[in-house]
Amino acid sequence: MIPHDILTLYSAKMIEYGIAICFLLLFIPFWKYVQGPSVAIAPAHARRTQSATSGAEWFPIPVDRLFHRGHAWARSESDGLVTVGLDGFAAKLVGPLASVALPQVGSLVGQGEPAWKLVADDGRAVEMLSPLDGTIAEINTDLAASPETTQLDPYGRGWLLRLRPQRLRANSTNLMSGAAARRWMNDAVAGLQRTVSPELGALAQDGGVPVTGMARIIDPEHWDLLARTHLLTDDKENANA
Amino acid sequence: MSSTTAQALPSRSWVTDKIFLGLPFAEYLKSLATPGNFVAGLIMAVGIPVIIYRFAFGLGAATNLSQTNPWGIWIGFDMLAGVALAAGGYTLATAVYIFGLKEYHPIVRPAILTGFLGYLFAVLGLTADLGRPWNLPVPLFISWGGPSVMFEIAWCVVLYLTVLGLEFLPPVFEWLGWKKAYALATQATIGLTVIGVMLSTLHQSSLGGLFLMAPTKLHPLWYSPFIPAYFFISSIAAGLSMVIVESGLSHRAFQSRLDHHVNLDKLVIGLARGASIVLFAYFFLKVQGVADSGRWALLATGYGYWFLVEVLGFILLPSLVFAYAARRANASLIRWTAAWTVLGIIINRLNVSVIALNWNSPDRYVPSWMEVMVSLTLVTLGITAFRWIVNRMPVLNEHELSGTRES
Repeated sequence: MIPHDILTLYSAKMIEYGIAICFLLLFIPFWKYVQGPSVAIAPAHARRTQSATSGAEWFPIPVDRLFHRGHAWARSESDGLVTVGLDGFAAKLVGPLASVALPQVGSLVGQGEPAWKLVADDGRAVEMLSPLDGTIAEINTDLAASPETTQLDPYGRGWLLRLRPQRLRANSTNLMSGAAARRWMNDAVAGLQRTVSPELGALAQDGGVPVTGMARIIDPEHWDLLARTHLLTDDKENANA
Repeated sequence: MSSTTAQALPSRSWVTDKIFLGLPFAEYLKSLATPGNFVAGLIMAVGIPVIIYRFAFGLGAATNLSQTNPWGIWIGFDMLAGVALAAGGYTLATAVYIFGLKEYHPIVRPAILTGFLGYLFAVLGLTADLGRPWNLPVPLFISWGGPSVMFEIAWCVVLYLTVLGLEFLPPVFEWLGWKKAYALATQATIGLTVIGVMLSTLHQSSLGGLFLMAPTKLHPLWYSPFIPAYFFISSIAAGLSMVIVESGLSHRAFQSRLDHHVNLDKLVIGLARGASIVLFAYFFLKVQGVADSGRWALLATGYGYWFLVEVLGFILLPSLVFAYAARRANASLIRWTAAWTVLGIIINRLNVSVIALNWNSPDRYVPSWMEVMVSLTLVTLGITAFRWIVNRMPVLNEHELSGTRES
């Protein structure tokens, strides 16, 4: 019968209209919920980063560099060579320098192997590790006259050498940049603070800035051993040997 | 120790630089000896001969397809699911280039590459599924079947695959160092994106439209006049989820190639918000489909329970979890939810094209091991191609060590 059919039709349509209205009514609060501000950062590492930002604040991480855990940086250039230097942490860790002993042009260096020495004005030297495998193509000769440039401008005029990389892609997997490098730098500074808290701890609490020769302030007698520990050359051949 | 004398250094060949990652050939070969490559090699060692076998001896010898069940997993998984999951390309390109959401720019290139490879291997899977693939040019160029949905899909897929290839040219030219070609290719980006959106809208929905012709074959819970809309809307959620999954995996696998100043977690949260809203609307549309057909009673059957698993477990649940995780800024939960959604889309496409198709026929289709092997091989080839390209071209970063960067 027609009346019955119409009722049946309306009954079916009523359900569809009902679903559509339910959707619209629920969509508004759902949209508001989804688009609302994030209420918390769940991952633990995020909290850790927030609580230890001072390291990266003291020693900024340029975005165009890759960092090795031995506190050396690398930046590839358009001519295929890679410029290498030491980072701000290493520059401040070792005291005023008398010279920087760089490898000879044409010599081979390996990633994670000692490549150059920072010679302090008290005669003690600390080796640093090369961030990449490669052949030395050029060294910064200006450092012979003014080694302090490495500490004044470690990411600019204080570069150490340029090398022709041998295994750039493979080596790059062991290097860090951006957020990963900032976390690592925070950890490095925290590690130094843990070594001796009174001197450097006060500095951190006061919001001061690190001074050149942090290792000497912490341990005047064995500062070179401390520096090697943080530059990862403590298990290498003794620099003074 | 120091010396200032510069000396001539041997220059590397183009092939060594661009193909062998700057390594001597012997060392490059050594670097390939990884567990991942071993598994991929094993799959290809079995799969490629199987593909050759299928073309040599035909569909009957290699598959369990029949006149009753002419479509198997090469259509359901390789084509339907592959095309849906490749939708990240048009979704992200539209968001960035049309809607101006520039913050998502760092993940557009991997999304387009995933889309391109997804379509490419979907087409290869389709070629394997065609009884006489050498006749493929006939419907495309010679004997047009204008009223056929299949005709529209064929042309759209061919054109969109071409568009995706063109969209991916900027990183290719950047890799090759062809500055003029790069400038030209980047100028075409917006035009290509607009064409890409049009083509995607057409064929994503048309793939669903194919099943409008099979109301008696497809189970009533999956059959609906809305099925083209289902396919289109779910492809957006699939594309967003696939970008979340792909970016997460790339973040782990290609650590040295990443643009580290990009906050990937923040981008992922934004994508999750989008996926949550899309899935929410998709869920209500699916419910509307059941209401429209008035088949509520079928929900209490075996197929009905399976339908509820799909709709509640793989549409509504991820929608709510995406929303929760976005509010909590929990990127890890978002990535797991995206993987769950990707699985849900695959299940949906298999449901429509295989599991719930011919549901009342006594002759049920179960794929042969060779069909599974071919699908697995195509996926492996796609992942291998993605890795090969990402390891060489500026896909994940714009601050290449080589110094070139997009302006």
